[in-house]
Amino acid sequence: MTRNALAARGANIDGVALVAALATIICAAPAIAVIGLALARSDGGADFGGDLLANGAFGTGALMAAGGLGAIVFGAASAALVSLCRFPGRGLFEWLLVVPLAAPSYILAYAYASLTWAGGVSPLRIEGFWGAAFIYAVGLYPYVYLAARAAFVSQSLGALEAARTLGAKPGNVFWRVALPMARPAIAAGGALAMMEIAADYGAAHHFGLTTLSTAIFRAWYAHGAPSMALQISAVLLLGALVFLILERRARGRASFAAALTRAKPAPRYQLAALPALGAVALCGGLVASGALLPLAWLLRLALLHANVEDVAGPFLNSMLLSGGGALVTLALAAAIAVAARRANAFGKASLYAAAAGYAAPGAVIAMGALALFGLAREAGWIGGLGPALAVTALIWTYAARFASAGVQPIDAGLTRLSKGLDASARTLGAGPWRRFARVDLPIAAPSLAAAALILFVEILKELPATLILRPFNFDTLAVKAYSYASDERLLEAAAPALLIFLVGLAPILILTRGIGQVGRR
Amino acid sequence: MSSVTLSNVKRAYDGAWALNDVSLKAPDGQVLALLGPSGSGKSTILRLIAGLEPLDGGEIRLGDETVSTPSHTLPAEARRVGMVFQDFALFPHLNAGANVAFGLDKLGRAERDAKALQWLDRVGLKHRAGAFPHELSGGEQQRVALARALAPAPRAVLLDEPFSGLDPVLRAELRDATLATLAEARTTTLFVTHDAEDALQVADCLAILKAGKLLQSGPPREAYDRPASIDAAAALGTINLHRGRVENAAVTTPFGAVAAAHLAQGASADVAVRAEALRLAPGEGARVLSVRPHGAHDLVRIEAQGLVWRALIPARTALGETVSVEIQTAGAFTFSA
Repeated sequence: MTRNALAARGANIDGVALVAALATIICAAPAIAVIGLALARSDGGADFGGDLLANGAFGTGALMAAGGLGAIVFGAASAALVSLCRFPGRGLFEWLLVVPLAAPSYILAYAYASLTWAGGVSPLRIEGFWGAAFIYAVGLYPYVYLAARAAFVSQSLGALEAARTLGAKPGNVFWRVALPMARPAIAAGGALAMMEIAADYGAAHHFGLTTLSTAIFRAWYAHGAPSMALQISAVLLLGALVFLILERRARGRASFAAALTRAKPAPRYQLAALPALGAVALCGGLVASGALLPLAWLLRLALLHANVEDVAGPFLNSMLLSGGGALVTLALAAAIAVAARRANAFGKASLYAAAAGYAAPGAVIAMGALALFGLAREAGWIGGLGPALAVTALIWTYAARFASAGVQPIDAGLTRLSKGLDASARTLGAGPWRRFARVDLPIAAPSLAAAALILFVEILKELPATLILRPFNFDTLAVKAYSYASDERLLEAAAPALLIFLVGLAPILILTRGIGQVGRR
Repeated sequence: MSSVTLSNVKRAYDGAWALNDVSLKAPDGQVLALLGPSGSGKSTILRLIAGLEPLDGGEIRLGDETVSTPSHTLPAEARRVGMVFQDFALFPHLNAGANVAFGLDKLGRAERDAKALQWLDRVGLKHRAGAFPHELSGGEQQRVALARALAPAPRAVLLDEPFSGLDPVLRAELRDATLATLAEARTTTLFVTHDAEDALQVADCLAILKAGKLLQSGPPREAYDRPASIDAAAALGTINLHRGRVENAAVTTPFGAVAAAHLAQGASADVAVRAEALRLAPGEGARVLSVRPHGAHDLVRIEAQGLVWRALIPARTALGETVSVEIQTAGAFTFSA
């Protein structure tokens, strides 16, 4: 190897490591700032801070338990039905059951509030603790559904048939073999759903509940106690990290349960008339309450009370902010994905930092970013938090929060870039730029596009961080829906809420395009 | 323990016959090997006997009980037929002991655990009772799967390519151990393989299948010595082919004559000669094209009048560039063409 080539390789390794280190700092800095400052500034607001923290922790814990349990039961039951049984509409439900992922919890909360409160059509009021638990259960069960369905579909047909040759009846095969084999995947999906519940601000706020997320806002705005907000954030962050670890563990165990070889999918069990009716009722009920009913209701309200001027500005702001945020986050995610492929310490650190950012609620990351800018101002490096700095802080928050969501699709794209392809392009005389432009980029492009879309929508739906960091008088769709809903002007909230819902549908449809093909007989 | 009888069994997938009119009997307590290439329908036979698939024609009996007809399939869980799957299909969420105990749920807990442990002991894995499937080696998984299938005292046990996923050294060892366990259990056994050596080593009785048809069944020695067709002969080893005419009760090949007393004078006939039935010695008659080691033998390619045959001879036999060829009658067959 010539000296030049050696130097080039050295520079290459350093470059990637440098980028990985930078990505790690970008993702981890807000979270580290939250914990560091919470420890450093344990003063102020101690008199009421203890109560707020305890009540918030209790509220978040109770909601995670109730909403999470509902999501697990709904998700596992619907996944088992569509994966293992045959009943009318099964194929349709297989992908419709994912659709509730399109709507963030606060949109569902606004839709149900207007549906069941004044001017609504339902006598049953969705409100308070159980209302929120219901919304989490019907809105977040798809996390469990997706994980459990993948587990059921990938189960070894042999294991199920072996159980039968050993004398187990079909019902027994489910309870003794199929369900236990899917348990780790169900646990992983449940942990994800619970992390979403912990991160939610909008729905809990709308139902007037005290959770850690709403407590952060109350400490910050109502009590004017930033250090207390930081402390609550730190508690919420640590809790989220615990669930992140639980989720990773469960996912690791789930891989043991996947089949080594799989000749063909298990034939589905034909349900008799009455159980089939029950299956249709459960799946239909979930799709209706998690997506169709609130969507239809928001559509009706928006058509009745459409005010284009009112929504146009926030819509444009949302597009610009989400677009810019998605591009920055995509670059960060791509850097992490490339660095992680090196499987060295830098790459791994960036991956963990991104995962931690994804687990951390938006409000927590925003508090961290705010604290960091505060420190910079104290040091005299920057002035006040003007619009430009605020947008910078906001985009940083989005990048730290969502980079992990972009890493996975990009990594899937990189997987298709085999070493063999690179080697064969080299033997055909292609230099690095030509290889990148003619081979790497075209192959990875669909994955990059998918990642960009996912990031765009995640950012568009994000509420608490946007609320905290947005420049003065800068409304996005999410902020607009939130502020109308906070003023009990649910009719006006419908149009921005509907737009968020509709945009959220796009990645869901792309995500589910492949779902029906997997394991179809 | 029961005999397993298939009468005129038919099974179609998407309109194509996977099994067409197959009749077979595995006698009580004996080992029947189903030998054939992939797609021959041998695994389908196991699935039909296990009750995992319905029948399109014929019937299957376990002992005196009819368990499958086109109109009725006794469910797998009610048949008491054990099965060892190709990928072993151990339950990943249960340890080895609990896997073996799975089919013993009619017993009390203490009795069940004791029996499971006893079966693990029989396959030499008592010390691994607490290990989960992903912690077991391939050979250990196979033995747990065998113990699991045998523990509930099935009427018959079915093994689907039980040794195919294992490395060659382990394979011979495990084959012997499996055979010993089965002999001890005295369970009627059907096992599927595409490996002629496995079939000849293990089976009391052999069934050779191709493309959903039964080519031949009977004791392994008989199948080897008196194949019913070229395909049946080819299933049990390398064969050499030649087509000629019957003259004076024999067919002449470039390498020598083969007796064909059962065929009519002047009829067209196919000759099949096992590679191990060719004797080579320094001399004239055929040209040596190549000599390659083949286990304990050498595989020699020989040529005469443009025809190339393969011969398996004791390794390191000294040969010149040309050889004389003797065809041993025990391994040479003629069939009407």
